[in-house]
Amino acid sequence: MSVLLSARGLRLAFGGVRAADGIDLDVMQGEFLAIIGPNGAGKTSFINMTTGYLRPQAGSIAFDGQPILGLPPRKIVRRGIARSFQLPQLSGEHTVLENAALAVAAHAGFWSPWRALLRPEYRRDAEALLDSFGLLPLAHARADALNEGARKLTDIAMAVALKPRLLLMDEPTSGVAASEKMAIVETLVRVLRQAGVTAVFVEHDMDVVARFADRVAVWSQGQILALGPAAQVLEDPEVRREVIGIEAGPLLP
Amino acid sequence: MADWFADNGLLLGLALLDGISSAALIFMVAVGLTLVFGVMRILNVAHGSLYAIGAYTAASAGIFAASLGLPAWASLPAIVLSAALVGAVTGPLIETLLLRRIYDKDPVLQLLVTFALFMILEDVQKLIWGVQPMQNDTATRLLGTIDVPFGADVIPFNAYQLLLLPGVALTVLVGLTLFLRRTLTGRVIIAVTEDREAATAIGIDSTRVFLLTFTFGAALAALGGALSSPTASVVPGVGASTIVLSFAVVATAGLGRIEGAAIAALMIGLGRSIAVYFAPEFEVVVPYIIMVAVLLVRPQGLFGVAVTRRV
Repeated sequence: MSVLLSARGLRLAFGGVRAADGIDLDVMQGEFLAIIGPNGAGKTSFINMTTGYLRPQAGSIAFDGQPILGLPPRKIVRRGIARSFQLPQLSGEHTVLENAALAVAAHAGFWSPWRALLRPEYRRDAEALLDSFGLLPLAHARADALNEGARKLTDIAMAVALKPRLLLMDEPTSGVAASEKMAIVETLVRVLRQAGVTAVFVEHDMDVVARFADRVAVWSQGQILALGPAAQVLEDPEVRREVIGIEAGPLLP
Repeated sequence: MADWFADNGLLLGLALLDGISSAALIFMVAVGLTLVFGVMRILNVAHGSLYAIGAYTAASAGIFAASLGLPAWASLPAIVLSAALVGAVTGPLIETLLLRRIYDKDPVLQLLVTFALFMILEDVQKLIWGVQPMQNDTATRLLGTIDVPFGADVIPFNAYQLLLLPGVALTVLVGLTLFLRRTLTGRVIIAVTEDREAATAIGIDSTRVFLLTFTFGAALAALGGALSSPTASVVPGVGASTIVLSFAVVATAGLGRIEGAAIAALMIGLGRSIAVYFAPEFEVVVPYIIMVAVLLVRPQGLFGVAVTRRV
């Protein structure tokens, strides 16, 4: 397996809080890598640095061998790195289809002032996208009428519309009802595998991590405490005590 | 009451017609101001100067067209072209040279910068057009007058103010709403307005959106000014009074609310013109009395939504 994303020596501090304190991480082509760890460990900061929203004070990030630090977010998107947000930012007054069509059109790149949002090819691609996520029945619902699970999926679908090679997801199942979580994870695994997308996701739910992740990176105070195959890391006594501790119950199915 | 109407009916009718036509002009300026604020979060004090420059340019263009011996109808396209020209020149210049550098700065600094720009543009106007009033009412005379029946009276009112101005304002309102709601560019503008981070995350170039929006807003201000030039002579200071009035409309409506700006413009336009006819000493304060009355009850404006910051 080849390295798709390579971060070296990332350092970032907000005042006294160290969000990244010498982060070295390789993301392999095709893998699903979970980032776990307590709040404030710097997990989201890693996503923000990789996608151009935060500039580390030191270090480098290479995507496919090319340095990407310093590029603005939209140029990083064009290189093939997309992201979803912990709080999906859909346009509430537009339908799911219109939200998805915006991402399809943004990827198509060219827009003239009078072009309709739902011109046939955007609509067709957006519908196909929603269909793959099982969202087609909701296509004409307003985004502000959706439950959190559907909002998360729509937000991720918009990121997938950009045809990324690497997708970074910030807590894809947070705020989703427990009964819906696994259905969302199954959908994500299916769609991302099919599209051949490498995924990095920040997650607090260890059941989701166990089902979704090939490898797990444990974050703590801006450092990577442990990194390895999911089964191994999740069973590590120190990781269980330090990071997962409060999360009771069996971790692996 | 009946006696009052018999005595004052004609005045009331004139006040209403005047109010509607001035509301149409105020709306065009205010909607540009509110659009720019909604998208870019900058309250552009120099917006009124663009109105004044639009008015001066249109008056000059009209006079120039007449000096070339062009027919009177040419004054109408001259108005539209002047507005487009002012928007296309000043919009990109101001956005790229000035505003682009202060988007991430303190709102107080942004206000000071646009205020400085306003002061500069005031002097630029005096430099180019001098301080003598300019008048070119070719367009008003061209369209003639219409007899408006009002109760027992008939009011002859010029068609330019009665039909053309409200017609253009209505077209701007409907066109802008449809543009934002239905077209891809409109959708992109809304996306950037709602969440700039999320918009750039799908690869939208917010720089381009800001440039486009500001230029469009500048053109709307210039259009308001250009359309006003045949109805009143253009004098120094018109920019200042316009910006203050548009602020009142935008605050009354709720910042960033387009349809709200139409209603608020109508309220303030009518309120002011009724004051002009019945209590002239209150002309200047009436718009602010309306604004303060509305803000006391609804601090976010008539159509504003009180937002709690996410995260």
